[in-house]
Amino acid sequence: MTLTTSEPISHLGLQLPFERATLSNGLRVVLHPDRSLPLVTVNLWYHVGSKNERPGRTGFAHLFEHMLFQGSEHVPANEHFRYLQQVGGVANGSTWYDRTNYYETLPAHHLDLGLWLESDRMGFFLPALTQESLDTQRNVVMNERRQRVDNQPYGRANERMHELLYPGDHPYHWPVIGYMDDIAAATLEEVRQFFQTYYAPNNAVLTLAGDLDPDAAFKRVEAWFGDIPAGPPVPPVSAPLSPLGGERREVLEDDVSLPRIYLGFRGPAYGQRGWYAADLLSGVFSGGKSSVLYRDLVYERQIAQDVSAWMSPYEAVATFMIVATAKPGIAIETLEQAILDHVERAASAPPAAADFERSRNRMLTELYSGLQKLDNRADLFSQFTTYFDDPAGVAAEADRYLEIAPRELSDYASRWMTEAERVVVTVVPRKAS
Amino acid sequence: MAVKLDRTAPPPAGELRPFRFPAFVKRPIPGGPTVYASRVAGIPLVSLELSSRAGAHHDPVERPGLATFTASLIDEGTRHRGSLEIAAWMERLGGYLVSAADWDTGYVAAAMLTQNVDSGLELLAEIALTPTFPEKEIERIRRQRLAELMRRGYDPGAQADDRLSEVIYGGTPYASPLLGRVESLSVVDRDALVAFYERHYSLAGSTVIAVGDLDPDDIVHRIEEALVARPGQEPAPAASPIHPVPLDGVSIHIVDRPGAAQTELRLGHAGVPRTHPEWVPLNVLNMVLGGKFTSRINLNLRERHSYTYGANSRFSGRLGPGPFVVDTAVATESAGAATREVLGELQRIREEPVEPYELEETLSYMIGVYPYTLQTMGDVAKRLEILSVYGLPDDHYDTYLDRLAAVTREDLLKGARGHLHPDRIAIVAVGPADVLVPQLEGIGEVTVRRREPELAAV
Repeated sequence: MTLTTSEPISHLGLQLPFERATLSNGLRVVLHPDRSLPLVTVNLWYHVGSKNERPGRTGFAHLFEHMLFQGSEHVPANEHFRYLQQVGGVANGSTWYDRTNYYETLPAHHLDLGLWLESDRMGFFLPALTQESLDTQRNVVMNERRQRVDNQPYGRANERMHELLYPGDHPYHWPVIGYMDDIAAATLEEVRQFFQTYYAPNNAVLTLAGDLDPDAAFKRVEAWFGDIPAGPPVPPVSAPLSPLGGERREVLEDDVSLPRIYLGFRGPAYGQRGWYAADLLSGVFSGGKSSVLYRDLVYERQIAQDVSAWMSPYEAVATFMIVATAKPGIAIETLEQAILDHVERAASAPPAAADFERSRNRMLTELYSGLQKLDNRADLFSQFTTYFDDPAGVAAEADRYLEIAPRELSDYASRWMTEAERVVVTVVPRKAS
Repeated sequence: MAVKLDRTAPPPAGELRPFRFPAFVKRPIPGGPTVYASRVAGIPLVSLELSSRAGAHHDPVERPGLATFTASLIDEGTRHRGSLEIAAWMERLGGYLVSAADWDTGYVAAAMLTQNVDSGLELLAEIALTPTFPEKEIERIRRQRLAELMRRGYDPGAQADDRLSEVIYGGTPYASPLLGRVESLSVVDRDALVAFYERHYSLAGSTVIAVGDLDPDDIVHRIEEALVARPGQEPAPAASPIHPVPLDGVSIHIVDRPGAAQTELRLGHAGVPRTHPEWVPLNVLNMVLGGKFTSRINLNLRERHSYTYGANSRFSGRLGPGPFVVDTAVATESAGAATREVLGELQRIREEPVEPYELEETLSYMIGVYPYTLQTMGDVAKRLEILSVYGLPDDHYDTYLDRLAAVTREDLLKGARGHLHPDRIAIVAVGPADVLVPQLEGIGEVTVRRREPELAAV
């Protein structure tokens, strides 16, 4: 067999054309034409997330996202999804630490429907707000928390990791979905204030992608959004952080059969050069049978059932995580030591050429694979515009990875992944009562 | 300059733009696979999949998990290459390789950059045609799978799914999880794996699906050269029918998880095979009932009663009669009320035709969303696989939208009366039994089980 030499995957001739403009009310608009399918995506990012909450009032940004599907002045309660679904649209929203997004992909000839719905809830939300819909959505969200966190094996570990990694007044300390008591305490007046503070055109980015003519589509955006007044400047979030200055550890008991370990480290914010080095390092560690941690812990020594590592794309400071589940009969301490040995090795020398190359090529193919879906592409345009005011960043993302040299991975590990700066959470089976 | 608009009603639609299922070629190779190939442009990637009649449908009843165990060994060693070598080669190029089985088929699939398609195909052929089933890898994967089963026994959602299958499909291959069971995984040996492979992975009767940045005629030619059947190889046997014993009433099966924060709830019974003539109307029926956000069950349980974060239902398409299942997770104190609401919805849709607007909205959703479901190479490959696995005609997707548009309210009523059985249904609740029993005992006969007993043996 002739093995293909592995040239770095780069510049594969992807065309990601876009145009951008800003309305007089501050709404930033990105238009990405792609006429290969008769679809159009409307993707709206508000630059507000759980980061903008305060202790005792957590989970609010996410609860608010649910409220935004409860109707607006011209759209009756529950009709938002119905209007979209009845033309073949697919819609949802999501909340994260740094942002909240709303999106719908529609048959292209229904573009106006998407713009009508999004502009109505940006400009005319408050008249439709009722105590009854807040009560319903509070219950729905409490059930969401039970389903995703409290009733999930290992469900609390991630939350606990963030609580230990970031101090109590830091905006990444609390979970996006919030704490049960805080969700239960949310009031109608808070919903109103939150909307007025954060849901204004000057705090949003709107991307339209798909089967559209940029000039004509922009005129429609102007028509639907142009008369929504700008809001006051959004209060800045301060996120000062001093070093942990000593390892933190915690053991959680849960209804699980196999112990699991979570190792967490802080890292540079998404967009910085070091972030890309860290992401490449996570790909050296895990992802595929031949990755360093999988090969050693799962395949060769068989002390782990699974292992994964990743770098989270947060705006203020990022989190590097390594998570592994122990094989039956293997002490969690054995697994921890094995992982720490790899972290130490990663800090002492650059990765082997084959491991580096594998990680880089995987990052790039994943990037390209993700671009197949129109809604993902639109979301990336909104993301780069919201965080960096740079829609061209979508196409340049591959180059950010290609600029990184192997040496930068070991530099990263030795600077950021030290004993004094790590948090270790282990989840162990609850002792039988 | 903003123009004054009418915001009081949904704006009118523009002009509909046509959509057709992507063109594909279908080429049967004598004594070998049938190749389906389709060009999906845009991203320089190609996906290749060799799919065989080797799904868990073919598991002997006393050996659940044999099909998926066999499939997981196929990329673990060939005459020329060891397990890690195979993985490293593919992963170094940023590609992926997977060998697995679902209910209907066993498959080896790979995705790679267009520039590497020749060597990718060569590797795929080597893996699929000359697996060596090394003892060392068999033992490693056996331990891996046993630990996975152990973990599954502590996952409330998986516990609910598994208990439901066991109740509905007792005595058939559908009764066990795809992964199998402890007792069978513990005793399957190399001979059994090799025998399953020899019998079910014949190239004759198999299918290759190639989708992506490729020239269909060219790829067919390359596949023909790379995948050469052994002379005289018999085609794999077709699937034998699966006949679950019908349920004879409403039964409640609680799996006790003391102190659980929520209850996982399932209601279900056997449905119909994917090839059933009413498949399309039954899917429209399900869409009205529980297939999308605005379906009856979700609006009832989530938006009206806020018992749950979400609830849905589906018919599962398989060669045999896959299950019809309603799936949700509810606040435990609402489990009884939520169960009654679901049973009520199943009853109501059997009694009266759906409202005309419900059918109209559902059909326009299913027709409108069609292009959205065909955006990626994987989407197109999946559809081609459906043609091949279920023996559907080549023009199946060209006529799909017309067949959908022809569905009537009477079709749905007939489908509901024939294929939804709220009076012969199994209900599974995974949660704290002491809180669940009093709520559910008025609905049907209740049995309570602690954790899967076999897990204690691991």
